[in-house]
Amino acid sequence: MSTNNNKLLVDIGSTYFKVSTADSIEQHFRDFNKRILDDLMHKCGDIVQSYEPENVHICSSANGGLSTLIIGLTHSYSLKYATNIAYNSGINVIDSIVFQDIEEYSIPSDLIDVVIIVGGIDSNGGVFDERLTSYLDKLNYSNVVYVGNKNDAQEIAKTVERLEILPNIIDDRLHIVETHLKDYLTNLYQQDIEGKEDIKDLYEVTGNQIYSTPFVVNKSLPLIHTSFSVTDPFILLDIGGATTDVHYSKDLVSDNIVTEQGHDRIVFKKLGVYKSRQSLIFTAENNEYAYELLMHLKVTENIYNEHSEKATKILMQLAIFLVLCKMSHYRPAYVTLKLLAMNSIVFTGGITKVLNTEDIEDVVAFFYRKILNSDHKPVTVLDSDYDIWTLGATEHAACQ
Amino acid sequence: MKVVTGVIGNDIHVVANRLMDLSLTARGYEVFNLGVNTYLEEFFDAAVETGAEILLISSLNGEAEGWGREVKLLKAKYKSLDGLTMMIGGNLTVGSGNAEDIVTRFKNYGFDLVCHQVDLNTGLDMLEEYMQEQKHS
Ligand code: B12
Repeated sequence: MSTNNNKLLVDIGSTYFKVSTADSIEQHFRDFNKRILDDLMHKCGDIVQSYEPENVHICSSANGGLSTLIIGLTHSYSLKYATNIAYNSGINVIDSIVFQDIEEYSIPSDLIDVVIIVGGIDSNGGVFDERLTSYLDKLNYSNVVYVGNKNDAQEIAKTVERLEILPNIIDDRLHIVETHLKDYLTNLYQQDIEGKEDIKDLYEVTGNQIYSTPFVVNKSLPLIHTSFSVTDPFILLDIGGATTDVHYSKDLVSDNIVTEQGHDRIVFKKLGVYKSRQSLIFTAENNEYAYELLMHLKVTENIYNEHSEKATKILMQLAIFLVLCKMSHYRPAYVTLKLLAMNSIVFTGGITKVLNTEDIEDVVAFFYRKILNSDHKPVTVLDSDYDIWTLGATEHAACQ
Repeated sequence: MKVVTGVIGNDIHVVANRLMDLSLTARGYEVFNLGVNTYLEEFFDAAVETGAEILLISSLNGEAEGWGREVKLLKAKYKSLDGLTMMIGGNLTVGSGNAEDIVTRFKNYGFDLVCHQVDLNTGLDMLEEYMQEQKHS
């Protein structure tokens, strides 16, 4: 039974929105002077109106997701586990703080959507003290959740207002327990999307819940083989206007995190080709190989100041290179992937409209040669028709 | 008593580690076994998260020397590990080596108990004695 022939799928991004019917996909640049609904109806009104609200499914990554700051005891356990859960719930990690040094950290000025406090197994205790409260007093945040050892929970609740206490994410064998924090964060994200005025408008055209895009993409990863010839392990790169999302097979990390799902997600917040263009350029300027890459692509740094099709293309190539660097030993982020073991690299999002396979393979090969000293060549797969997103959205729509 | 154990570095010799886990448990310790392929930072981090009193490191393949030199520097970054008892055992050098020299060297690296090619149970007896002494002093 085909379920989506009569369904309309809409994805709202920070730069583009796309509209998918059974026989076509349209993609439009957003007009930031208009509210999303007006923009959508202006450009695709006929299509949208031809569907009943219950057959319209919308997902959004337009607000860039929620932000979190994590306070934990150690990099290898509490901070790593919480970061992993946050990313997999579609939340962006602004900063992570090792509690023993909390006084040395600066206080971010931006409003933090949710603060996560974590540390210690349940038989441990007394690991936090008043420095926690004095830090939180100075911090500007909307929600705070405690997922650390049981013993300290009540003590912290006495001094931190509106503290949500959930079961420890570290079990007695030092393994990760995802469920409770993940559900909490996913719900928070969901409420945030629904609470945004701009997004609320969209309920005029849909009778279904609006989901976050990473949630939908994550749904499609186990099904990816049905549409593409992708060999495990693989990574999926979604280089967007504001952020870059990487979904990767668990097999690519040698790690103490053992979870149930086969794929994890990481987000590079300030890496994109439109809204985050400046910080992308900044990152490139601080990467000693980026200059060589530009030479290899036969352009100079002047390209950073150009606003042309060519410049966009080069920036996207740079973005691929920088993301791979960030995931490799060369620039360790919070995870390091075994990129030499990677068999496929899948690209989705706006990038597939600008670059062709050759452009991409050129950069990927440059990366492997320069950074990993290798001729390894993972198979490049381009999802130019947004099949991955459609897969996830369809799967989801079918479940509703 | 809580004890964190594992095999340091890129060392995959797992047999002694399994025996260690069993023996420690049989002797009544609460064991947090990080297994093979464990980095120094993970050992210290595990001690912090669990509140362990003892850190017991194995090294079999000859990597111990390199890691030993890192111990003081890294441990100095932790503010809650001053009371941690540190023990290392296995094959602590490449080849056979002189046990006495090795013990002195590793004590200088910051280990309280050093067991180069010492049988596991002998080593765990030493640990028990040492912990008793600590309690009384
Ligand atoms: C089996 C084995 C392997 C297997 C391991 C399988 C596995 N997954 O466990 C394989 C084939 C994979 C292997 C690989 C290698 N091995 Co190997 N291996 C052995 C071997 C034959 C037996 C080890 C064993 O399991 N013994 C049984 C256990 C119970 O005993 P044990 O490990 O000696 O531990 C005892 C004590 O040391 C003590 N103990 C251990 N830890 C601690 C800690 C404390 C606190 C205390 C008190 C006591 C203690 O308790 C145990 C029981 O009493 C030994 C040689 C030997 N006969 O010992 C070499 C040996 C350990 N391997 C060696 C080497 C060099 C290697 C390789 C580098 C070889 C190579 N060139 O590729 C690789 C390294 C791989 C890696 N990344 O670590 C050397 C190490 C030399 C050194 N340190 O100077 C040895 C000693 C062989 C030799 N004589 O050259 N190896």
